Amino acid sequence: MFTNQQINLDALPTIDDLNYKPVSKQYLKIIIINRSAIYLIIMAALWIAKLKVMDHTFQNLFWYIFAVVIFIAIVNLMFCIMAFKTRKYAIREQDVIYTKGLLVNSIAAVPISRIQHLEISRTWLARKLNLATLNIFTAGESGIDLSIEGLDHSEAKKINDYLSERVNGTI
Amino acid sequence: MAQFDFSHPARQSPKGIIIIFALNTYKFVARFFVLFLALGLSLSKNESFSFLNTTNIILMLLGIFIVILGFAILKYLNFKFYLDKDEFHLATGVFNKDTTILPKSKIQNVYIKQNFIQQIINVVSLTIETAGDDKAEIEINALDRATALQLKAQLFTNAQLENSDVPAETPQQTIFFKASVQRLLLEGISQNHVRSFLIIISFVLGLFNEFEKYVEDYQIADRVKSTINLQSGSFFNVLLANLFLVMLAVLVSMLFSIIKTFIANYNLEVVENKDTIEINKGLFNKLSLILTPIRIQNLVIKTNRLKSFFGLHTLSIKQAMINKKQQKHFKIVALDKPQLAHLIEKIFSQYPGVGEFHKPDAYYKRVLILRAAVIGVLLNIPAFFIIGDYFWLINIGILAWIVLFVHFTYNKASFQITDEYLTVTSGFIDRVRQINQLHKIQSVALKQSFFQKQRQIASLHIATASHTVKIPYITEKNAKSIYDYLLFKIESQDRNWM
Repeated sequence: MFTNQQINLDALPTIDDLNYKPVSKQYLKIIIINRSAIYLIIMAALWIAKLKVMDHTFQNLFWYIFAVVIFIAIVNLMFCIMAFKTRKYAIREQDVIYTKGLLVNSIAAVPISRIQHLEISRTWLARKLNLATLNIFTAGESGIDLSIEGLDHSEAKKINDYLSERVNGTI
Repeated sequence: MAQFDFSHPARQSPKGIIIIFALNTYKFVARFFVLFLALGLSLSKNESFSFLNTTNIILMLLGIFIVILGFAILKYLNFKFYLDKDEFHLATGVFNKDTTILPKSKIQNVYIKQNFIQQIINVVSLTIETAGDDKAEIEINALDRATALQLKAQLFTNAQLENSDVPAETPQQTIFFKASVQRLLLEGISQNHVRSFLIIISFVLGLFNEFEKYVEDYQIADRVKSTINLQSGSFFNVLLANLFLVMLAVLVSMLFSIIKTFIANYNLEVVENKDTIEINKGLFNKLSLILTPIRIQNLVIKTNRLKSFFGLHTLSIKQAMINKKQQKHFKIVALDKPQLAHLIEKIFSQYPGVGEFHKPDAYYKRVLILRAAVIGVLLNIPAFFIIGDYFWLINIGILAWIVLFVHFTYNKASFQITDEYLTVTSGFIDRVRQINQLHKIQSVALKQSFFQKQRQIASLHIATASHTVKIPYITEKNAKSIYDYLLFKIESQDRNWM
């Protein structure tokens, strides 16, 4: 039978009262290691430049540049650590929601019925710490795909299996 | 008309050899053009290539062409296609054999093209696209028109055909819209001439770079200077010369826009079939494409003040995973208002068209001012180097631009959400309206910066398979309720997005 009742907008399930689950704390280590590696490479390059480049202005300015890089590195790392708490996800009956970001916060939702395929990817570091990234692909532009980083490997597999089954329509 | 049987593997028309040959020759020349040029230059200066006399060069070129021709023939012989009940099969490849199988139900669009050479030898090419890849999956280079039309028709008749004993009735076709020369002319005049101008400038600069040496050798610049004779001219003459240059640039840009519009849209017509829409257009590249409404992800309607005064609207039809180059073909220009409304209704049934639109929060103005101001400040740097001491004078112009930009952009920004559709309008000079069907939305994201959080403002990014629309800077409460509503709409109905 066809029905067409008015929807009470206030009664819709809302994202406000969701219980988000944080990603694994281990993932913070990976973020810090990755960031530190980048800044260490920059600093090393600067140091080599100091030894090789004999330009006078550069030699005079060297310590200022070095200090600026260290300052940026510290601020960036602090933000990373503070923003880490905002990396959370939730799986509802009908969709997957992932939120992150301190300076720019985003809450992205992908309905399960729109998922095209799923993928678990693990870097070398993630394998050492027993972590995984779950990539959720929808149709269309690549920018809108959801990837939940820093899940426990077993957790990622569990979500992956559940979602795959839902996508294939077995549940 | 003779019925063609597509159920057995068949080759394209033998004329296809010519098309493949021409295509490969063109590709070859395009790829090695610079090399040829360099070779030619060094030949004229260097004696060490003296063994390359005219006969040898001609022989070499002949050899290359024979190889390309041979390859074209092999390619033609190895290109076979057939159609069974619900799949299209294609076998290609000279050395690497490829077999492509395409289920009819996944075909997103089929179109028939005819470029200049194909027009001369009277064949057409047929392209079949799915949403799977952003480049065309299958292209058959040479078919005669009747065969192509039949193949197209058979690709679109679904598997239901087998049990219908209805004789192939002539599908009712009505030519719904035909763009007259006059309307195309208006469309050309009201184009964005700045873009045309930039294209011309970059083209001329490119040419200049290539031939800089020759220009220097023949001292063309000096000759030009001596004929115009700017140095000895009075202030009035300089002004006149500048005015003349500006007029010339405007005129040339305008002419370029008009010619471009004409070539792309010559004989534009929209044909309404029972459940599809057909677009035919083009002068040198004749093009005919068929659209099925369920495959259409969203519509973009563009007009501006001048165009809407002439009653000109452009409708772009967006589908999933079509590359940018193809995308521009899915454009219908010079539609007037009733025609536009009719076409939208045909594609998206029960689209309301009117109704209440909501505005973004005033915070959006602040963001726009900030954005424009950053560009304005940056513009001061080149201005300082070009103009010198009086560079700050340009800020008067920049300020006026910022005011106009913020005012118009904010005025044009609005959105509407109904039971079925999401409409977002935007634009600065152009008026852009984007229409999405709610059940074709792929994902929703709410974005909010640290500063917006203090003021309870947020933006929504809504993605379909063809692109992402943004509802900018609304109150957090509204954003969240729209977010919940959209998810509810997608998830509560079991409708396919394509």
